[in-house]
Amino acid sequence: MDILAGLGHGFFVALQPVNLLYCFIGVFIGTLVGVLPGIGPVSAMSLLLPVTLSGTPESGIIMMAGIYYGSMYGGSTTSILVNIPGEAASIVTAIDGHQMARQGRAGPALGIAALGSFVAGTFALVALMLVAPTLARVAVKFGPPEYFSLMVLGLTVLTFLTQGSMLKSLMMACVGVIIGLIGLDSINAMPRLTFDRLELVDGIGLVPIVMGLFGIAEILTNLEHAMRRDLVEQRIKGIWPSWSDWLASQKAIYRGTVLGFFLGILPGGGAVIGSFASYAIEKKLSKTPERFGKGAIEGVAGPEAANNAAAGGAFIPLMTLGIPPNVVMALLLGAFVVHGLQPGPLMMTQNPNVFWGIVASMYIGNVMLLVLNMPLIGVWVQLLKAPYNVLFPLIVMFCIVGVYASSNAVFDVGVMVLFGIVGYLMRKFGYEAAPLVLAFVLGPMLENNLRKSLILSQGSFEIFVTRPISVVCLVIAAAVLIAPLVPVLRRKRDAIPLEEAN
Amino acid sequence: MIRSAELWGGLVWLAGGLFVVWSGYDLELGTLSEPGTGFMIFWLGLLLSAFAAVIVGKAVLAGGPTLASLWAGTRWRKIMIVIVALALYAVLFERLGFLVCTLPLLILLMRAIDPVDWKIAIPVALIGSFGIWAVMEKWLKIQLPAGTLWDQLGLV
Repeated sequence: MDILAGLGHGFFVALQPVNLLYCFIGVFIGTLVGVLPGIGPVSAMSLLLPVTLSGTPESGIIMMAGIYYGSMYGGSTTSILVNIPGEAASIVTAIDGHQMARQGRAGPALGIAALGSFVAGTFALVALMLVAPTLARVAVKFGPPEYFSLMVLGLTVLTFLTQGSMLKSLMMACVGVIIGLIGLDSINAMPRLTFDRLELVDGIGLVPIVMGLFGIAEILTNLEHAMRRDLVEQRIKGIWPSWSDWLASQKAIYRGTVLGFFLGILPGGGAVIGSFASYAIEKKLSKTPERFGKGAIEGVAGPEAANNAAAGGAFIPLMTLGIPPNVVMALLLGAFVVHGLQPGPLMMTQNPNVFWGIVASMYIGNVMLLVLNMPLIGVWVQLLKAPYNVLFPLIVMFCIVGVYASSNAVFDVGVMVLFGIVGYLMRKFGYEAAPLVLAFVLGPMLENNLRKSLILSQGSFEIFVTRPISVVCLVIAAAVLIAPLVPVLRRKRDAIPLEEAN
Repeated sequence: MIRSAELWGGLVWLAGGLFVVWSGYDLELGTLSEPGTGFMIFWLGLLLSAFAAVIVGKAVLAGGPTLASLWAGTRWRKIMIVIVALALYAVLFERLGFLVCTLPLLILLMRAIDPVDWKIAIPVALIGSFGIWAVMEKWLKIQLPAGTLWDQLGLV
């Protein structure tokens, strides 16, 4: 199907009233969780995964995607007004955005964040539309060794980009794969690590793990200290940036967009690294770098564009290869699987409704977000005044209900609590959850492709180094593994404080 | 050294890794040309144990922050309250049911950490728990646990 015909078909799907409603609910909830500190897109998407079961696959996935890019928009509001990033990709926005707010320029800061996000989101969609079909044609030729090596690369890059010790991140990736293998062996149906518990035969669900590691653990961490908020109280006026603001920001927006998009495509990359990289580049290119940290509008525009473009770019590996590049996309993969769909190179031809419907809905979602963010900023500010001591018990309750509803199993509530406690301890001891979750999702695929490759090659590991795509992926993965041993690269890695996706 | 957080963290993962190695071995490794059920688990367990051993080794040689320092200046008692409450909730959820468990949990969380005024805590807990119950049961048609204990006592 050619691109324009596909897009036309996509708009036909996305403009159906029920899909418009799901798209609106998605971007609305996304903005909401982006605004509220303490609950991120991962928790919100896990919570709403069961809700998507009631509709068609495209409706459910349109809503889930809306939550993701909606949260990227919403996160900027808390960063600018309260100096608490609603989600990790907005950490950098807080640096100059909050300074602008303190100088009485909250309006232009919020405005340029929304506009930059809109420009970047739209660019990312056009690029997704153009790149995805080409990549899908290449991906059809991928066999088990290529998939195995690509997943190894994705996990390695994520462990490299994660904050703290790379050794610990690698350990978490191992733990994630092991947990992912609990349950029946996909090849010979033997139960593994089930401890004779019937509930474990089907494996552990993604939702309780994610809600525990990101939802409950986040709450426990937040409660360690009384939450202090530096809410800018003055009336927000002049949301539309002035001409001079726009002139100062436009190049930052374009640069952030391109940078974020390509970083989003990379396995293990994503919105957070995109926003940090954009900020660093803007500061470096600026003729007056001393303004950064004191309210430079480019410091808001660039990172906001980058994190939204990365959110769009991250769809490419998922849609074309079936490999999620980050935790949020892993959840989206879960949503596809729940509906009996397998994202990958054949999805565009086998399920054009879903693929093009999602792409088209993202155009519509971006417009909805602009409408939500520009005039409704006052409403979001009111929401920020909700005290955390009332909010967090309700978030706990939503986590419990969301986990129970995803499987109708009380056991899963216990799993969530257990992973919540483990996740809290992991944070205390410096072990990151993101590699664990991504490895958990990739684990069964990783094992399946490794075993199939070995069966194909009659036990020879040469199959991984004689196929060009596979060997390239493995060489890059090896380079990434060795990188922290090089002092210059280690310093660069240490400068990226990254906790993906929450 | 004995109080080093890194050491204890590493030892926990080392024990876990060795257990996984043993489990993988027990499950049957197979051969390289036909890997068995435990093949991947065994090798991952070995990898995990090796990484954990490096962390233990580094902790022994270089030390690091102590266990107590990780919680210094934090409200750890309040964290413990939340953890115990959640663990109890998970244990009692099926037996006592959603409403009987959730209402006290919400009140406890609102009162025990940064105390919310009773006049706010009670209505929020009531509206929150009954509201979500109504939405799930009536709108989404998802039945939340009603409590097996009440059945056994013949109260339902």
